[in-house]
Order: sequence, then C-alpha cells, then structure tokens
Amino acid sequence: MIKKIQRSTWIYLAVAFLLVLLPFFKDERWFLFLMIQVFTFGIFAMSYDLLLGYTGIISFGHAMFFGIGAYSVGIILDRMEASYTSLLIGILVAALLGGLVSFIAGILTLKLKNHFYAMLTLALASMFLFIAEKWRSVTHGSDGFTFRLPELPGPLEDHRNITIYMFCLVMMVLIFFGLRRLTESPLGKILVAIRENEGRVESLGFRIMPYKVIISVISGVVASFAGVLYAISIRFVGTNVFAIDVTLDALLMTIIGGVGTLVGPIIGAGIIEFAHHYLSSLADVHWIFERWIILFGIVYILAVIFFPAGIVGTIKAKLHKRKHRKIEAKQQNADKMAS
Amino acid sequence: MELIINLAINGIAMGMLYFLIACGLTLIFGLMDVLNFSHGALFAWGAYVGIWAFDVTESFVIGLIAAILAGLILGLLTELIIIKPVYGNHIQQILITLGFMLVLAELLKVVFGPDIMAASRPGYLDGSWSFGDVTVIKYRAFIILIGLLIFIGIMLVLKFTKVGLIVRAGVMNKEMVQALGINIRLVFIGVFMVGSALAALGGALFVPNSGVAYAEMGMEFGIYAFIVVIIGGMGSVPGSLVAALLVGLSGSFMGYYYSDLSMVVTMILMFIILIFRPQGLFQVSGVSNK
Amino acid sequence: MENTLLKLEQINTHIEQFHILHNIDFEVQPGEVTVLLGRNGAGKTTTLRTIMGLNSATNGTVQFKGEDITKLPPYHIAKRGIGYVPEDQGIFYDLSVGENMRVGMRQEDDATKERMDWVLDLFPDLKKFWKKPGGQLSGGQKQMLSIARSYVNDNDLLLIDEPSKGLAPVVVEKVIESIEKMKEKTTVVLVEQNFYMASRLGDRFYILDDGITVHHGDMEQLREDEELKRKYLGIA
Ligand SMILES: Nc1ncnc2c1ncn2[C@@H]1O[C@H](COP(=O)(O)OP(=O)(O)OP(=O)(O)O)[C@@H](O)[C@H]1O
Ligand SMILES: [Mg+2]
Repeated sequence: MIKKIQRSTWIYLAVAFLLVLLPFFKDERWFLFLMIQVFTFGIFAMSYDLLLGYTGIISFGHAMFFGIGAYSVGIILDRMEASYTSLLIGILVAALLGGLVSFIAGILTLKLKNHFYAMLTLALASMFLFIAEKWRSVTHGSDGFTFRLPELPGPLEDHRNITIYMFCLVMMVLIFFGLRRLTESPLGKILVAIRENEGRVESLGFRIMPYKVIISVISGVVASFAGVLYAISIRFVGTNVFAIDVTLDALLMTIIGGVGTLVGPIIGAGIIEFAHHYLSSLADVHWIFERWIILFGIVYILAVIFFPAGIVGTIKAKLHKRKHRKIEAKQQNADKMAS
Repeated sequence: MELIINLAINGIAMGMLYFLIACGLTLIFGLMDVLNFSHGALFAWGAYVGIWAFDVTESFVIGLIAAILAGLILGLLTELIIIKPVYGNHIQQILITLGFMLVLAELLKVVFGPDIMAASRPGYLDGSWSFGDVTVIKYRAFIILIGLLIFIGIMLVLKFTKVGLIVRAGVMNKEMVQALGINIRLVFIGVFMVGSALAALGGALFVPNSGVAYAEMGMEFGIYAFIVVIIGGMGSVPGSLVAALLVGLSGSFMGYYYSDLSMVVTMILMFIILIFRPQGLFQVSGVSNK
Repeated sequence: MENTLLKLEQINTHIEQFHILHNIDFEVQPGEVTVLLGRNGAGKTTTLRTIMGLNSATNGTVQFKGEDITKLPPYHIAKRGIGYVPEDQGIFYDLSVGENMRVGMRQEDDATKERMDWVLDLFPDLKKFWKKPGGQLSGGQKQMLSIARSYVNDNDLLLIDEPSKGLAPVVVEKVIESIEKMKEKTTVVLVEQNFYMASRLGDRFYILDDGITVHHGDMEQLREDEELKRKYLGIA
C-alpha cells in the first residue's frame, strides 16, 4: 500500500516539475494566463470535489466562496496600500469569511437531506451576487474595480506573470497533497463511509454532522483561497465571480475529471479552461459558440448520466479490473499447478 | 393606511406568483423526492411564450394558454429526459436538474433572442380602481384572483378526486400505493407536467406586471420558490401558499423602505425556519427532510 | 397440484449486495391459509415483497394463476388479484379511514360495494371512525383497516404480514376471528410468529430459516412436532 502511494506521488511530482519548466519554453502572455486559470480553478474544483466526492454534499453556491475570496483580497488591496501586509490580511480575511459562511450553511442544513445544502448555498450565492451589485461604495457595483499588487522584489517584478504562474502552481500542488492527506486520514475514511451509508456510520456511534461541517468549512476556505488567487492573477474583481457559471465550471471540472479523485478535478480544470479558450475564439464561426453555457450544460448533463465516474474514475476502474484479472489469472494458474 | 393596503396588495400578488412556482416544486418533491432545480426556468419560459403568443394572436388569454401548454410539454420532457435516467440516485438527480436549468435559460436566448423582452397588459386589465384613498391596480387584483382560484382548484382536486387522493397517498407512502395496484409513474409524470405548467403560468402572469422578461428571471424566481418550499414545508400545498404570501408581503414592505434589503429579509425568514423548524411550517407525514 | 394458485420456484432475492432469499420453493393452494413461519430476519417479509414485486427476484420464477409474474411491476401484480397487508400496515396517516379504503379501490361496482359492506360489518370500528385520520387509529384498528383495504378489491390472494405484531391478546383473537371468516371467501398467505394464531388459522405451513425453506407440510403435522417447533420457532 505504502509503495503504491509513493509511486503515484512521484508521478504527480514529476508532472508538477514539468509544469515548472513549461513557462521557460512557452511564455506567451495568453498561455501563461490560461495556465494560471487552470491552476486556480484546479484548486477551486478540488475544494468542490472534497464536498461532492468525499462526502456526497452538493453545493450549488460554490461561486460564493470563490467570490468572497476575490472580493476580500480585492477590497483590502484597493482600500489599503498595496503592501504585503495588506495582501496577507486580505488572504486571512478571505479564509475567515469563506470558513464562516460555509460553517453557517453547514450547521443549518447538513443535518437535513442534501437538497437543503444545495438550495441554501444557491440562495446564499445569489444574495452575495446581489450585495456585490448593490453595495457600490465598497464593491463598485457591476463595473467591478482594478487594484494594485505590491511590487515584487527586483528581477521577479520583470517576470511578473511567470512569478504568479509559479506561485499558483506551487499552491495547487501543496493543496493537492494536503487534501489528499486529509482524505487518506482516518477522518477521510469516515467521510467516505458516510457517503456510502450514512445510517450505518451513525449506528456505529459516530455523530455525522460535525464531520460534514468540518469538511464544508475546509472546502469553503480552499475555495475562497482559489478566489484570492484568481483576483490576484487578473488584478481585477467584478460581480462575475459570484455568477452561477463559476459554480457550473466547478461542477463540470469535478464530474468530467472524476468525482472523488482530487486529481480528476485538476485535469477537468485543464480541459474546461482550454475548451473555454478555444470555444470563445470559435464565436466568429458560429453563434452557438457564444452560447457556450448550452454546450457545457449539455455536456454536463450527458456526463452526469453516462459518464458519472469521470476520466480518472473510469481509468481507475479499468486499472482495478485489469489488476483483478491478473490476480485471478495467477490464482487459476496456481490452481492448475496444484492439481 | 392607503400605503399599507397598497403594499399589502402588491405583496399578496407577488406571493401568488411565488405560490404558482412553489406548489409544483413542493408536490414533485413530496411525491417523488426529487428537488427539481430546473423548475424556475419554466417560469421564464412561460413568460417568454406568453408574451410571444400574446403578440402574435393579440389575445392575452391565448398567451396564458400557450404558456400553460409550453409548461406541460417542457415538464413532460424534463421528466422523461432528465429525471428518469437518473431515477433513484439523489445526487445525480440534484446535479442534473441544475444543469438543465442553465440549458433551459440559455435556450430561451437562442429561441427568443438575447435581449430583454417587453411585455404589456391587455387593455381591459390596465389601469386601476379607486376606493376612496385606496387605489387598486387592476392587474394585481387579477393575479391575486387567479392565484386564489388555482389554490382552491388544487385543494379541491387533492381533496375530492381519485387522482388527488392518489397523489396525497403517494406523498405519504409510494410503495403502498403501488402495492394497491396503482401505476405511480403515471401519477409522477402527471404531477410533474401540471407543476411545470403552473410555474409557466406564473411567469406569463408576472411579466405584464413588471413589464419585462429576461432569461435570468427563472433563476431568481426559482430561488424564491425554494425558500418558499423550505418555509412552507416540503410536500405541503397550503404550506407553500402561506409561505409564499409571507415572502411576498415581507418583500413588499421591506422593499418599500429599503428596496435593496428585500432579498435579505427573505433569507432571514428562511434562516429562522431552518434553525427553529427545519421541517417547515406545515409538515406532511411521510415526507422527511432528513 | 393442478390448480396451484401461487407458485414460487427457486426464488433468489438480493437486497443491495446482500443475498437474502436462497432458492425458495413455495406453493399456495386455493381456499387455504398457508402460514409462513420463521424467526426474526428469516426472510418472511422479503418473500412477500418478492411476490408483490417490491423486491425483485434475481433468479427463479413466481407464478400466479399459471402466469409468470416475476418481472411485472408491483401495480400489475396487484391488479392480477393479490392484496398486500404489509408488516407496518401501510396506512396513509393523513388520509381518513374512508379515504384509505378508497385509494386502493380498483372498481366501484356492486361486487366491490358488497365486499365493502361485508368487511365493514366485520370491523365495525372502521365504520365508526370513518372520517378519522388513519394515523390516529389504534394499532389494532390500523391492522383491521389494512386487512379490510386489501379485501375490498376482487383479490384471489391476500398476503398478510404479521397481523398480530404488537397487539394485545384480545385484539389478536379478534383478528383471528376475522381472518377465519375471510378464509371462506379468499386464499391467504399469512406470515406469523405467533404460533397460536398460526395454528388456529393455518392449513399448511412453511418454515423459513436464513432465507431457506427448511420445512413444509400440513399444519396438523407441525402442531404435533415439538422438536421442529423448538428448533425453528423457539417454542418449548
Ligand atoms: N433494506 C434492507 N437492507 C439490507 N438488508 C435487509 C433489508 N431489508 C431486509 N434485510 C435483511 O433481510 C433479512 C430478511 O429480512 P425480513 O424482513 O424478510 O425478515 P423477516 O423474516 O420478515 O423478519 P421479522 O420477523 O423480524 O419481520 C434480514 O436479515 C434483514 O436484515
Ligand atoms: Mg418481517
């Protein structure tokens, strides 16, 4: 078991290393920017997967946490001087608010059917969008606002995009390993057991609620951190961070990549971000590409019905089957030898 | 005093619209345990189809009928294409209906164009009546009347017809209904279609009041409908009427004093219910929120 | 036998991943009461549910009046003429007694009315509380309502699951008497743990243990076989 974990860890580290090298070969602005989006949305989608894949909690307002992160850091950098202290405060406030909101949503609804969490988060997200639009003195309404980042030391300032790229990449990798650790811990095992059979876990004497709330809070904090990175990378915050599209993106990335796999959502983020990019350039070809939500929505619906395991889930199942077959074959051989 | 009456009438009219969306939602949930997140989109579809048919035929009534038909058809399609393939899997059901909501809203833009659509009232419902100092806008009175008629109609059907009896029984214990020789799937489909049609009717009734239709209104009203269902109690039709009026009235009064806070008030109402009475104001036996 | 009413052959039923029933063979002759015995968790309820189509058999066949009904949905099976009284009685709590009776009524012809009158004479309490919500009835009344509801249709077979459960001895006596009267008009499969009731009513018995039919025969035989009773039913 330990050996296997190590092997997959090495593979992930190798991929991360290749990603570190990537900007030295391809450093066009749009490409770096796209990759940064992949990383931030990768983090965001992982936070979604933690809920859906490991606990069976459905959030329809995940954009809310993303938006809370983006606005927290944006407003603080906008109002205070653009220093590292403000940045740090911004990140802390983002984490705190994200955690608080998900805590409230969690204790209110996680003891009920999972419809309730979905409904409540959807409603709360629409309220946050509404506030962002109306509270113009702070949020600048639907125009949004740009803000300045603190100067980076010396040579890094000249390669600002690459620096942000590296920062986001490192964050994604750290968060990935952190969350993986979490899901493989005893707590994670309990969570999966909850998802599989809530009644039984309860009858074993575990109180489920606290576990679910903890996960909801962690997920909220991670998601709002993704929002922070997003805002930093584009140095702009607008109400679109609260839009349902953002939640749909997270859903799509998680489901297409593979629910309950953590690495799947990152792959999903890559696919969806690149699809966004190329589809919007196709808008000149046919109007349907401008209405990409229809395409994504349909892909999403089809994925939920026909491809619920996602890419990584399907691959894993295949590998698992093959391994089983190998073991069976070995066994049969052994039986034959014996007889 | 006039102000209070006016705000009350406005609030009740909005409440009736919320009720039209919420009662389908609540019955579908009670009967099938399906929370249909795409339900709000039917409201927007009803609005667009209603405007379009009114424009084409110059008859408001035909506009309303067209909206109802659109609701019936879309409801049937939703049940067959979206809900049925993932029957028995809650998580998939919840996930899929949200996707369908977005697709339906976006399709609206494809079919009717991406711009806001203007809506008007028929001449005979324009204007208002004056009773002393109190002015009652005719159209709002009309909405209230229709809402009440539909509520009474639903209650009569539920109470006095065989189908209504089966629906009520199905909300409590689906399995037993089947074991008594009733094909509950047909009942599901029927309720789904009627619920969708009511939401669509709500949309068609709403836009002449507000003057405009836009694709996102489905989402907005859908969220209000969820809140109404939570407050009223899953599966209860009278509950959704009471909750809808509550939400409509509180929104109307709050909106007058601080228009930006009307949504917040609604949220607070929902929080209070979730904290103190998570089963909602009216509870139906056999429907559990756990 | 020629005119076997119900016949289960090699029925296997799974609930989720659990294999509950193993190769069950079970026959019911018309006009008789066949009792299904066995301790808690033996699979009695699951057997009835499999007959009703509420649990689907993974293997084997269920034949009713010579027709294979294994794969039919529950509502078709009910319409073929099987009435079901579940272990929890399946009363619709918010519906009145009258409404509970009416939900399941498949026809409203004279024959149905006749059966209705007959069964209400049998259970006068139901007539008395006609307008009362089913949820407010006592346990015994709920049981009677459930039995009456299954009888009111033109059914050839009633499946009754543990009607004595949780009832006081006097009430059990009443239920026994009423089933005795019904017995003259219809065929019954009775799941019972109460051996007294089983032996009063039964013509034939089957004993289930761990999802397997371990014994069957005439009730007469079981009444005398102390060994069998001790082994499977825990009766000394
Ligand atoms: N929904 C379910 N999930 C898992 N196992 C089940 C389920 N329903 C029944 N079982 C199992 O199937 C077996 C048979 O249950 P069944 O209800 O048929 O027993 P029974 O003979 O009716 O018992 P009792 O006399 O207690 O009513 C039991 O071991 C039970 O635990
Ligand atoms: Mg039982």
